[in-house]
Amino acid sequence: MNIEEIIEEFQEADFQETLAMLLDYSQGLPNLPEEFVEARDTGYNRVVECETPVFIFVRLKDGKVRIFADVPEESPTVRGFVALLVDAFDGSTPDEIENAPTNLINSLGLDQKLGTRRMFGLSAVYSRIKSEVKKAENIQ
Amino acid sequence: MADYSHPDLLVSTDWVAEHTGDPGVRIVESDEDVLLYDVGHIEGAVKVDWQTDLQDQLIRDYIDKEKFEMLMSEKGISNDTTVVFYGDRNNWWACYAFWVFKLFGHDKCLMMNGGRQKWVDEDRPLVKDVPEYPVTSYTVSGIDESIRAFKDDVTAHIGSGNPLIDVRSPKEFTGELLHMEAYPQEGALRGGHIPGAANVPWATAANEDGTFKSADELVSIYKDGKGLKDGDDVIAYCRIGERSSHTWFVLTYLLGFDKVRNYDGSWTEWGNMVRAPIEKP
Repeated sequence: MNIEEIIEEFQEADFQETLAMLLDYSQGLPNLPEEFVEARDTGYNRVVECETPVFIFVRLKDGKVRIFADVPEESPTVRGFVALLVDAFDGSTPDEIENAPTNLINSLGLDQKLGTRRMFGLSAVYSRIKSEVKKAENIQ
Repeated sequence: MADYSHPDLLVSTDWVAEHTGDPGVRIVESDEDVLLYDVGHIEGAVKVDWQTDLQDQLIRDYIDKEKFEMLMSEKGISNDTTVVFYGDRNNWWACYAFWVFKLFGHDKCLMMNGGRQKWVDEDRPLVKDVPEYPVTSYTVSGIDESIRAFKDDVTAHIGSGNPLIDVRSPKEFTGELLHMEAYPQEGALRGGHIPGAANVPWATAANEDGTFKSADELVSIYKDGKGLKDGDDVIAYCRIGERSSHTWFVLTYLLGFDKVRNYDGSWTEWGNMVRAPIEKP
């Protein structure tokens, strides 16, 4: 699903359905590929604004963005959100990610459903993906 | 060796394992992460979320009496049910939920020492089935605000000689940091602490495995170390009132202080309030 379809699905979901979708996502987050494990273990690419240890690695290959992430299983909410982003944006073009809504968390309705206090870390993860894509483009 | 003042309020993981099917007992999981319960929980446990269940979503306050009655009824909790709390992060949110239940006057509340992590570390089972209990009838007869401090209570406390305990990290206390490291979302415009407050980070009261320290150790930290005396009128605060509910639990039930209040407005209120006095070393 692309991000617009995901947003639509979340907008139609009630609180329990939202939790269930996030839980599904969190269970589907692919393992961090071996090549990034050492970087993670030394603390590189941690999203420091998020209280949960979240690591995001973005690479650009053949004009497509690849996103790899690591989030502990004990933090299913953040893990679910990160997995949603990976699902929506892994394989997209940099433009698609740049043009994705800035206020994604509001569009998904997560601030209303999960409470505002939990949203800062999630916003930080999303901004990090956007900024990493820009960075990767500049390196090329 | 001294014992806790109310040792009966603290139960072990063994005790909880033996009471999962006890109809007079309701196990409540309260976590920072709203989904953690859904990943797996103690058999028979229900979820009470500190934000979406206990807090009012419009005004910065707790839900009202009617909503609490409805919540208890849905969770199958009666006025005489024994509620056992446990949760993630050293029982912070479990202590917070415990405190809110006490605000609403729930009589029998217990805490599972060590919380969720201890249960998991002991390789005890977690289940995904969400139990359903018959709806109960629950009546809140009154709100016990003797355990809650508001900003005016804190103002009156300053300079009165009564202790204020700031349970945040040393860097937040000195104002070097405006928030707990890695928790920037709950910041304030000014850093420092409430004048006269003593800094006793909440974790001082916890062992590595999340259990509470022994009564002797707690006496040496709070009484010998910070000069708290029996009969003191104590207010504890942190950033949003969750870490200080851990300290509130320790001072009230483990050390037996009669008058301890949790200032849930905490630094996110005080550090943002116009003209609030602040001390910075």
